[in-house]
Amino acid sequence: MFMHYLDLAWRSLRKTPLMSLLMVFAISIGIGITIMTLNVHQVMSTNPSGERSDKLLGVQLWTQGQDTWRNYSAILTYQDVINLRRGTVPVRQAAMFRTGKAITTDNPDIEAEMQSVRITDSDFFAMFSVPFLYGNVWDKAVDEVPEHVVVIGKELNDKLFDGRNSVGETLYLNTKPYRIVGVTDHWSPKPRYYDLTTGSMQDAELLFVPFSLTPIEEFEVWGNTNGWKFEPLRTYQDRMASEKAWLQFWAEVDTPEQRKAFQDYLNAYVDSQQQLGRFTDKSRDSWARTMNVAELLEFHEVVPEDNKILIGLSLLFLLVCLVNILGLMLTKFLKRAPEVGVRRAIGASKRQIFAQHLVEVGCIGAIGGALGLLWAWSALQYLAKKFFLEEAMTNLDPSIWVIAPSIAIVSAMLAGMYPAWVICKTKPSVYLKSQ
Amino acid sequence: MTAIKPILSAMFRSRSAPLLLLAQIILSIAIVANAAFIIQQRMELMARPSGITETESFEFSVFNFGEDMDLLARDERDLQILRNLPGIKAAAPTNMVPLSGSGWSDRFVDGPDPENAKSLPIFAFYLSDEELVNALGLKLVEGRTFHKGQILRAFDDKSVQREVILSQTMAKAFWGEESPIGKVVYQGDDEPITVVGVVERLQGAWVDDMHLENSVIMNIDFNGRSNNASYIIRAEVADIPQLQETIKAALLKDEPRRVIRGFSTIAENREQNYANHAMMAFVLGCMIVLLLVITALGLSGMVMFNIERRTKQIGTRRALGASKGAILSWFLTENYLILGTGALVGVLLAFELGRRLMNFFSLPALDWRYPAMTVALLFVVTTVAVILPARKAANISPATATRSV
Repeated sequence: MFMHYLDLAWRSLRKTPLMSLLMVFAISIGIGITIMTLNVHQVMSTNPSGERSDKLLGVQLWTQGQDTWRNYSAILTYQDVINLRRGTVPVRQAAMFRTGKAITTDNPDIEAEMQSVRITDSDFFAMFSVPFLYGNVWDKAVDEVPEHVVVIGKELNDKLFDGRNSVGETLYLNTKPYRIVGVTDHWSPKPRYYDLTTGSMQDAELLFVPFSLTPIEEFEVWGNTNGWKFEPLRTYQDRMASEKAWLQFWAEVDTPEQRKAFQDYLNAYVDSQQQLGRFTDKSRDSWARTMNVAELLEFHEVVPEDNKILIGLSLLFLLVCLVNILGLMLTKFLKRAPEVGVRRAIGASKRQIFAQHLVEVGCIGAIGGALGLLWAWSALQYLAKKFFLEEAMTNLDPSIWVIAPSIAIVSAMLAGMYPAWVICKTKPSVYLKSQ
Repeated sequence: MTAIKPILSAMFRSRSAPLLLLAQIILSIAIVANAAFIIQQRMELMARPSGITETESFEFSVFNFGEDMDLLARDERDLQILRNLPGIKAAAPTNMVPLSGSGWSDRFVDGPDPENAKSLPIFAFYLSDEELVNALGLKLVEGRTFHKGQILRAFDDKSVQREVILSQTMAKAFWGEESPIGKVVYQGDDEPITVVGVVERLQGAWVDDMHLENSVIMNIDFNGRSNNASYIIRAEVADIPQLQETIKAALLKDEPRRVIRGFSTIAENREQNYANHAMMAFVLGCMIVLLLVITALGLSGMVMFNIERRTKQIGTRRALGASKGAILSWFLTENYLILGTGALVGVLLAFELGRRLMNFFSLPALDWRYPAMTVALLFVVTTVAVILPARKAANISPATATRSV
């Protein structure tokens, strides 16, 4: 029966090509705009940590003085990070920040180039599920006793070593030799959730260096340094001893009980620091906070406000399109009343008439949805080129392949429900009389 | 106007079509008014002048990685090389680049005692020498730029006096109409900082910053404090592409152990950093146009159908003496009745939507002119959308229309 209705729907659409085109056009534009804004939202609101989201905690401390910052700081001071790193509650933990270095190898043909470098602890790789291609992360002992070792990403390994196993080879960061201990496979979570403070849609770094080298190598900070009081940073020692915040600290816990224990540990730590005269703003109930990945994505407003406004407006836009096709459909169906009257007279049930018309509406929705996807995709390509959108944003999120046709067909059916209902109420007698 | 009563009673007999049209108009007003308002906001934001010769001024940075390099001396030598290159009108060291999305901000106080001193507003903090005013093409409205040679090399360098040039917005924010020249401010320690000049305008790094126009230039050449050094160059627009090659070659020839990168004009920075706003305005603009097109097409379609359905009725009226104009005005009146009702409700809905947007997002309250303009726009669009098919109705000849009665 369904196939028959499809056939009828197709005939009906072809009978009034202009009207059908208009309806398909209207719904496809509505769907297109909605899908476009939803796609940006889907891409940006993806939580790449998956089921590990609850286990990974970013640490935030209320370290400021009175009348200074109004919010928790997402970055910490060096002294706090060094203190927290000694804690034993979490399963794993990692301090981190970003720097940049000029990279060279023993191969003189390769020109020096700038690369971002992530300075972090060995646990980073297990915490954020970084896959290894060759070798492995540096020994845990290196987190305490620094060594000049480095883990590099596949893309860099391809460029510098033609993709061969480069473990054991030497890489120069600002002419300083580092021994390669591991090569990671392609890894670039979007949003870059392990560091949302320096651009959430950027690619992951391709170089990882032990955090323990920081006091020796005095790595520059490629990221924010926030201070709430006047402290000139003349030397790197000043920076490390100051109240300036510039580091992130992550901890991994297995259970909610562990998270609670970690939270208690943090509170105790803040208390101990307050005793020492730090953290002078005591105008609160708590001074330490942990946030899991989902909470952090929300906290850093990874999905921009503009996108939310656009989603709202595009849904309203879709509503206009639906009202529009509702009107057109009503018009079209009513015109067909005489034909329906005859069909009812020769035995078609109300349900059959209703179903037949809904199939027709569903067809319009499906075609409109497909066209809408095409609009959305091309619009994203165009916008990306014109407005420097990150590449990640231009790809249709996998979820969109389900969302788009569902919205299209469901909304078209909703719009078609009333006209179909009106038409199936047609009394055969009225039209038979006038034949 | 023809009598409204029969039109109304005709509409009430087939309610659904006019009601749908009404709904469409109400929603359209709410969307278009708010979208247009947001577009206007973004345009205003983007139109703010930066005070900089944006197409003539460009930046680049040098990352020196030689182990034993004297970075302070390197910076001085690089500046010399740059200033001797033909085609360069001005070259200045800098710690941050306007409209680049990354920079420094800081605060001054008005006295040496941190307990009692009053804070000046927060500002973008440029560290450079006497040439920055020139390199950015800033307009000095009061005072002077720094004296050549009177430039510090670090925050703890006390070889010469600390001096600052302020943007006018910054000066006005603290001293009002009073001239700030000669005023002394402090930065947390007791080292006095004298205001020596005011530039008409200078924006900072973050275009969404509330304090974008508050800027300060201090006489510190901060390049050489780390591996990275940044420069701002001013040159003729036509020379810039060539200059980028020349600069790279000249600097690398003098010292190969470095990476030179990031050539971009301030105009390019602007485009990059306002891209979100430009995109928002563009997408909303497209939405408005498409919405109007869809509304107009839908309306035309419905009028067309109405005409077909009422062919006999129209023919009869024509036969009874109604003029073509009367038929046309019948459809127009019908449209204006719906539009009028829709406008009343739509404007209310527009304000409600605006209020919600204001509550949830950082948007100002909707200006009444936007709903008003939207209604006017819809008036024009629907008139055209009705007149085109209605002219066909007016041309129905009484003879053909009544033949089958």
